Amino acid sequence: MKLLAATAVAALALACCSVVRAYQRTAYFGFDDSEQHQAQKAEFVWSRLAYTSRSGGNGYGWGWGRAAWSRDYPKADRQLLVAMKRLTRIEGRPYEQVVDLDSDAIFEYPWIYAVQVQAWTFSDAEAKRLRDYLNKGGFLMVDDFHGTQDWEDFMEGMRQVLPDRPVEDLQSGDEIFHVLYDMDDRIQVPGEHYIRTHRTYEKDGFTPKWRAIRDDKGRIMVAICHNMHLGDAWEWADDPEYPEKFAAQAFRVGLNYIVYGMTH
Amino acid sequence: MFEFFFKYPYTAFARGRLILLSSWPRWMLVIAIVLGAVGLAGLIWFRWSAAAPKLKSWRSAVIWVLQAAMLTLLLLLLCQPALNVAELRSQQNIIAILVDDSHSMAQSDAGNQQTREQAAVAALKNGVQDGLKQRFQTRLYHIGASMGEVDSPDKLQAAGRSTHLSDGLRQFLTQTQDLPIGAIVLMSDGAENASGGDEGGGGVDIAALDALRNRHIPVHTIGFGSETAEHDVEMEGVSVAPRALASSRMVATVRFHQHGFSGQKAMLTVRESGKALAGHEIILPANRETRTDTLYFDAGAAGAKSFEFSISPMPGEPNVINNSLSRMVNVSGDKRRILFVEGEPRWEFKFIRRASDDDPQLQMVSMLRTTENKIYRQGISDPSELAEGFPTRAEDLFGYSGIIIGSVENGYFTPSQQELLREFVDRRGGGVLFLGGRFSLADGGWTSSGASDLIPTFLPKTKETFHRDPAYPLLTQVGAESPVTRLADDATVNAARWKKLPYTADYQDAGSPKPGATVLLEMTDTHRKMPMLVTEPYGRGRTALMATAGTWRWQMSMPVGDGSHDQFWRQLLRYIAAESPGPVTASVPAQTLMDEGHVVLSATVRDKQYQPASDADVMARIVGPDGTSSMVQLAAVPGEAGSFRTEWTADKPGSYAVEVTGSRAGEVLGSDIVTLERKDGIAENFHTEQNRELLERLANSTGGRYWRPSELNTLPRDISYSEAGISVRDTKPLWDMPINYLLLLGLVSTQWLLRRKWGVV
Repeated sequence: MKLLAATAVAALALACCSVVRAYQRTAYFGFDDSEQHQAQKAEFVWSRLAYTSRSGGNGYGWGWGRAAWSRDYPKADRQLLVAMKRLTRIEGRPYEQVVDLDSDAIFEYPWIYAVQVQAWTFSDAEAKRLRDYLNKGGFLMVDDFHGTQDWEDFMEGMRQVLPDRPVEDLQSGDEIFHVLYDMDDRIQVPGEHYIRTHRTYEKDGFTPKWRAIRDDKGRIMVAICHNMHLGDAWEWADDPEYPEKFAAQAFRVGLNYIVYGMTH
Repeated sequence: MFEFFFKYPYTAFARGRLILLSSWPRWMLVIAIVLGAVGLAGLIWFRWSAAAPKLKSWRSAVIWVLQAAMLTLLLLLLCQPALNVAELRSQQNIIAILVDDSHSMAQSDAGNQQTREQAAVAALKNGVQDGLKQRFQTRLYHIGASMGEVDSPDKLQAAGRSTHLSDGLRQFLTQTQDLPIGAIVLMSDGAENASGGDEGGGGVDIAALDALRNRHIPVHTIGFGSETAEHDVEMEGVSVAPRALASSRMVATVRFHQHGFSGQKAMLTVRESGKALAGHEIILPANRETRTDTLYFDAGAAGAKSFEFSISPMPGEPNVINNSLSRMVNVSGDKRRILFVEGEPRWEFKFIRRASDDDPQLQMVSMLRTTENKIYRQGISDPSELAEGFPTRAEDLFGYSGIIIGSVENGYFTPSQQELLREFVDRRGGGVLFLGGRFSLADGGWTSSGASDLIPTFLPKTKETFHRDPAYPLLTQVGAESPVTRLADDATVNAARWKKLPYTADYQDAGSPKPGATVLLEMTDTHRKMPMLVTEPYGRGRTALMATAGTWRWQMSMPVGDGSHDQFWRQLLRYIAAESPGPVTASVPAQTLMDEGHVVLSATVRDKQYQPASDADVMARIVGPDGTSSMVQLAAVPGEAGSFRTEWTADKPGSYAVEVTGSRAGEVLGSDIVTLERKDGIAENFHTEQNRELLERLANSTGGRYWRPSELNTLPRDISYSEAGISVRDTKPLWDMPINYLLLLGLVSTQWLLRRKWGVV
């Protein structure tokens, strides 16, 4: 019995290692992962916001509820950085940067990206730090949350950060859709599940919502991509089964939002 | 005393020429003197052996010197020395007596019961006028705000609002050009209020002096009034830009002096419509020492503003009107358009744009290379603006007031665009700011650019000068005084705010400053200091260099509400763009007229390429204090392309707005507004001490003399030595001057007394 248990544990450990290794292989994009290169100095650094999710914990990891902020991380980030390097004159670091609200280090990165924001929670100090960040000129892009309940949960945290700022629907003529690519016609960008389900929505998020919170001068501080999953589109752009039209729009949106954040 | 020894007055010697009447040539006199001296020396040597023992020493040399001097004097007298001097013919010349009747002459100085005017009238009545009348005809004039003849000294009244000696002298010379004027006697305290000079501190202008010299008329000045005020604080002058953009941070340099309150504290304040805008405590300097101080204040909303700069009255100070001075500033509500050319998306671009967004007087127009083939334009006025990239025509580029060159390679601009950029500063008078970056300065190949003249530093010859490493800003001494880098009015607070700023995200080695450049900020990477912000005037415009693209950290790292980043950039952007002139620029010598209305209105007119438009029609519309308007045409100034001028008189006190418009063939080239203000009853309260320096300078430059009121008894006689009017040259022998015989007697006596002392008689 003991031998069987030991064999089972060993088999499980081997399976886990294989999964991790398999993931690492798919996450290799031709970059040199050395620390030296990860610390490369550049004008633009893709910064992913790590937060404490409702179920607790903000460490790296996988699985629902454990580390919601790290969805699609880091492949999505790196895929988009490849596109940014090829398609723009932005001097970007090829490696992402994880930032959190526990220290002032976030102020070194005026552009941050957050996902699964229906799960985010803030202490008062964290909410103030994010509010200060946005009021000083920082830019926040949120993505990958779906349906009515997710919206309410997202807004619960958002109201803690910017209690008096209204959320508005972006119009096609808004500058953020023209700063690099003209994007008057936009479609709902589904996650990787589209390959299996052919559904473009999740939960009751049938319609993509392009929304924003602006500052006193009308500049977008928080760009909200609700009912869509751009991160997945970046991550799975190299999958032959994932439709190109979704990936192409997702890249354009991402690059437009970066350029907008660097110009407004 | 002088005349007792020399037979003739000092003035005769001062104005005359020494001649020798003897027919002998002068070289014979020199030879005779030399031969005589040598002969005497030979005689002494010949009798050396028989001389007394005591004389066989230096004493013989002393005897020889005395005897040679006596011989020289005798030989000189034998040559019949004389003085050749021009002298006015008796009763055939007019002596003009000009008495200052300005308000300052109504003052009575400490220890004197009489006013200055009364003292002048008393001097005239007590002998001066009668003494002059014995030898000349005299005419009495008043000179002050105006000039005119008066019948009697009793009719003189110190009521003139100002003193215009230059104007008065010129007017006098014009009126009397057919009269035999032998000399001018000017009785004044020297308080000249001519426009263009500081209040009460002006001088007699060159035109008036030239006119006097041409007619060889000496001006004898008689100074009235104390030369130092007992207790007084006086504002000498205020330097402030005559025009500014709304909400500009203004800098005023204030000069003042005092007497009797040294070391005491006072408040220096600037007010607008009675409301204090800024001020600080000052310590009054030593007596008569001129002190300079600086005031920073906000220009406020658009409009014609009169700012009053004042020092608080001191206890017991009799004259407090001269504690204040006003200056007109035309605060414009116009927007200045700045073109920002950026070669790659950067945080610095974003945060500079955001800083300018908060300035209603600045409009940032930008072209950003987002990809190799795309330019993203912001702030454009119509879709065609910058559609073809950086402008290639002067009329397109010169529409901007300032240009920022970001991380853009030199090669991005064609050679003609680089030349256009240079002319934007040189000819148009715009401002260009270069930023640090990957493709900036030396790394962008700007060292060999046609526009490299614009860069205020000698760029390094090497590449890789841009580093993404921290650099700490350091405020220089000049920067501490500059409105560009002034984050707080108080110098200490300003320095503290700069010290609090975090490091920049990057820096670039910009080389060394060019001669004439000003380093406002330095930076250190903890190993060495480098220039960070350098400015330089260039042609009609100005250039600047900010050797970093990482000041955005000042915004992101400082607490919310700290406006250091935005304030600094707004001030730097205004430095670049605010002073850029339009096609038409109007100016007047002084915008505050003290008790006088004469104005010389000048304008420069340029076309859309900013080439001088000499064939333009230039009109000025003047709106006076009562709302009435009049039109005046400005005439082209010969020899000065694009310059126009006219003279005009503001005949009533109050504010005037002058709008100058230049047009050509019916097309308006541009217009400019200049404001000015006439204030009456002010000027004579400044410089109330006797301006002896001016009176002495006037007398010395015309061959006259400065006189004190107590030494006027010889004036009527001394004044006769003049080449003006109807004069004759007289030769006055000098051989019989008492001084000659006294010298001879003295030389003989000295020799005899010395011999007695030495016991060799």
